[in-house]
Amino acid sequence: MRARTFAAGAAAALLLTTVRGAPGAAADAAGASNALARELLAQLVTINTTDSPRGNVTTAAEAMAQRLRAAGFAAEDIQVLGPSERKKNLVVRLRGSGRHEPVLLIGHLDVVEARREDWSTDPFELVEQAGELYGRGTLDMKGPDAIMLAALIRLKQERFKPARDIILALTADEEGGGANGVQWLLQHHRELIDAQFVLSGDDYSVLTENGRPLFFKLVASEKVYADFQLLVTNKGGHSSVPVPENAIYTLTRGLDRLATYQFPFELNAVTREYYRRLARIESGQRAADMRAILRDPPDEQSLARLSHDPVDRSITHTTCVATRLDAGHANNALPQRALAVVNCRILPGHSPAEVRERLVQVLADPGITVGYLASDGTLRAQAPADRGFAPPPLLPEVMNPLDRLVAETWPGLTVIPSMSAGASDATHTSAAGLPTYTFSPLSVDPNDDREHGRDERIGVASFYQANAFFYRYLRTLTAN
Amino acid sequence: MRIFIGRLAPAALLAALAGGGGVVAAAGAGDAGDSAANALAREIFAQLIEINTTNSTGNVTTAAEAMAQRFRAAGFPAADLVVDGPQERKKNLVVRLRGTGQHRPVLLIGHLDVVEARREDWSTDPFQLTEKDGYFYGRGTLDMKSGDAIMAGTLLRLREEGVRPSRDIILALTADEEGGCCNGVDWLVRNHRELIDAEFVLNHDGVVGYSISSEHGVPQEFAFSATEKMYADYQLTVTNSGGHSSLPRSDNAIYQLAAGLLRIGRYSFPVELNEVTRAYFERMASARSGQVADDMRALTHAAPDEAAIERLSREPGLNSLMRTTCVATRLEGGHANNALPQRAVALVNCRILPGHSKEEVRQSLIKVLDDPAVTVRYVANDGAISDTAPAQRAQSPSPLLPQVLGPLESTVAAMWPGLPVVPFMNASATDGIYTRGAGLPTYGVAGIAVDRDDMHAHGRDERVRVAAFYRANEFFYRYLKALTAR
Repeated sequence: MRARTFAAGAAAALLLTTVRGAPGAAADAAGASNALARELLAQLVTINTTDSPRGNVTTAAEAMAQRLRAAGFAAEDIQVLGPSERKKNLVVRLRGSGRHEPVLLIGHLDVVEARREDWSTDPFELVEQAGELYGRGTLDMKGPDAIMLAALIRLKQERFKPARDIILALTADEEGGGANGVQWLLQHHRELIDAQFVLSGDDYSVLTENGRPLFFKLVASEKVYADFQLLVTNKGGHSSVPVPENAIYTLTRGLDRLATYQFPFELNAVTREYYRRLARIESGQRAADMRAILRDPPDEQSLARLSHDPVDRSITHTTCVATRLDAGHANNALPQRALAVVNCRILPGHSPAEVRERLVQVLADPGITVGYLASDGTLRAQAPADRGFAPPPLLPEVMNPLDRLVAETWPGLTVIPSMSAGASDATHTSAAGLPTYTFSPLSVDPNDDREHGRDERIGVASFYQANAFFYRYLRTLTAN
Repeated sequence: MRIFIGRLAPAALLAALAGGGGVVAAAGAGDAGDSAANALAREIFAQLIEINTTNSTGNVTTAAEAMAQRFRAAGFPAADLVVDGPQERKKNLVVRLRGTGQHRPVLLIGHLDVVEARREDWSTDPFQLTEKDGYFYGRGTLDMKSGDAIMAGTLLRLREEGVRPSRDIILALTADEEGGCCNGVDWLVRNHRELIDAEFVLNHDGVVGYSISSEHGVPQEFAFSATEKMYADYQLTVTNSGGHSSLPRSDNAIYQLAAGLLRIGRYSFPVELNEVTRAYFERMASARSGQVADDMRALTHAAPDEAAIERLSREPGLNSLMRTTCVATRLEGGHANNALPQRAVALVNCRILPGHSKEEVRQSLIKVLDDPAVTVRYVANDGAISDTAPAQRAQSPSPLLPQVLGPLESTVAAMWPGLPVVPFMNASATDGIYTRGAGLPTYGVAGIAVDRDDMHAHGRDERVRVAAFYRANEFFYRYLKALTAR
């Protein structure tokens, strides 16, 4: 242990010397890395990777493979593979000394739909405006993809020999579609991506308010994602003679009830720790409310105040929200079918089957059928009974460098373990027994979170800062 | 409109009403009709149902050509047959049976197009005529390939019998009544007025709402249309900046739209009678009995009784006669299952009473929605969307001509003794707006009995009673003959 600590100290000293010896060169390297990251981001945004006839994940995977080849990665360490022509994944390995088991970095290449008419800029062009980079995927998650790639390329160019292999998998169909890349790789090419632990870049970590960083979020637990379909059928008829029973009105009555329903409050080990640490950072009423909900029983008024905030509501409750509507077949005909998609994020320990039962109760109308929409798009009468995974242990080899670098980069900022409300590919790696931690050092104001929305963006300065941070973290993580 | 009431009360009609206090027997003269004529009508009917004439994947020209072929084969001269239109898939057929020329022609109109039908929604193939349990099933069995088949069959029958009518009988079978680029009647009126010019028009469309209304197959009244409501579509839109669905926010485009639609669903426009609907309720009050008759009478009083209105409003057909109606027919919202909706859109279809404008109704919808987040825009027939709607008021009724009504009353009296003949306002929009707009008095006359509680037009499993179809075939032949006898 001692020797190892010494070695680490020596390596750090060496690095420090290099930096001191040639400050211009280090600044150049950082600048070059930023330029590369931005170039990669622009290229990725331009490649439409939506799950639609216009989108193609393979094109993005191939483009990035080409970049890696050009940066000197050996052909056998770069794989582009997947179950279908348009849904191929990229797996690349930076070979290390083999002292430890590898670390796997994961990021998805696909993005949700974006309609030009909804946006202020072309969503498939990276546009810089007033210090922000606009484009579909800038946040979720072509920005983090570009940062991970840039770090790997920089380490390769520096001929850095990590203490463990660093594997990067850039994958398909995280946002939906039938060919989830992480799941497919785990099932068919486990050897390509097997690792001691997994780092996912699929969530921004530095939460800010009015430009001021509040805390650094490390996601160690996830809610379970589930889509439900609400369906009402009717014999329809001519719209000139409206009848009392109308499929659209039946559906909207149900949605009206769902809009005001709130699932029960619940905390788990991670969310308890989250509020315990956050209460120290927050002040005033908010801090008091956080402490009050940790009591048993929790204080009702504090809970009500906290639940007003979308983020706190999602951490303390299962949430379900209507995301799509489709009804009717002609303007002048009464609707024969009305359907809605309701998207739920379920707390660990609960199952989609349980939530489906609850939806049926809330809708309180046998005229509304509640079906489960599997991730491959198939509709089932019943939902799975599996419950969400328990959080993994917080490994010191992951946490210590993170704590240190966060404190250096953002003095006074605390790393707070938390539960993600957005289910991601970490679900699959967790299920495969790989401890998975999610963070991307981008700074985002949660009140202006445009993931999946229109005019998705990230700050230019935040992007470069995150790029520099991730490179340092990866280097430190694998230094010895 | 006093003229209208005066003309509407010929002795024959009043006599029929006096004798028609209760339910009228289904039996009447000539029940079965002519078997060859029925076989022909059915054959044409089946042929038309099988030709998909929807606006999406269908082709109206194919149906028009198929009918033209039948008229050619029956000996109609080429000069009296025109298949033409503004677009390859949207051609109309105009055929003329020459008469003595004693009077100006009568124009019969029917549309060949049908609304969409999805095989998976139906119990039978919507594009096959299926006879089952005394019904014909198929898209267009009510709206309105049954009527097209009856009119075409009647014209062929008159020709074969060598009938020389006192006026030319022109039949126009047309495109895009249900929507689409190229409304055939509109196009003919604008581009080939000479082909279809007539003293008056009989529109076979409108089984939906007017025709013979029956209960369990027993006819209750014979309605003919003399006016119609105005059709208008509105688009309700809510936008939102959206976001990730894992963090639901307090405002949601779908929920805002849903709440607005619930308000529209609960709202009733004010009750308002015009000359036609007033006469309808007066006559129906005499024809029916019990609570509903009392309520109809109460409705026509100067200060109508609220409870009576409430009871009458529960019957969708009567409700649509008393007021402007608006109903949500389509919804669309969101762009991904896992994203909060950035847009939620509903289509609201309105049927507006004569004397009111589309813009007036748009303003009413805004008031009912009571939410500035929901924008209400007007959707024109061609799909164009505008911030405001036309201010033009719905057309007033056509004058009731004795040369049209006399033969109607006598034919109905002969086939359905005692069945009241009542004037009607059509709640559904028909091509009558184009012919009325061109100054041609237009009447909706169909003669197909449809049960009040069995209206499947535009819906799934659209159907017509087999017996009602044959009887309507016989009726139309007799009526057309009576109409053109002198």
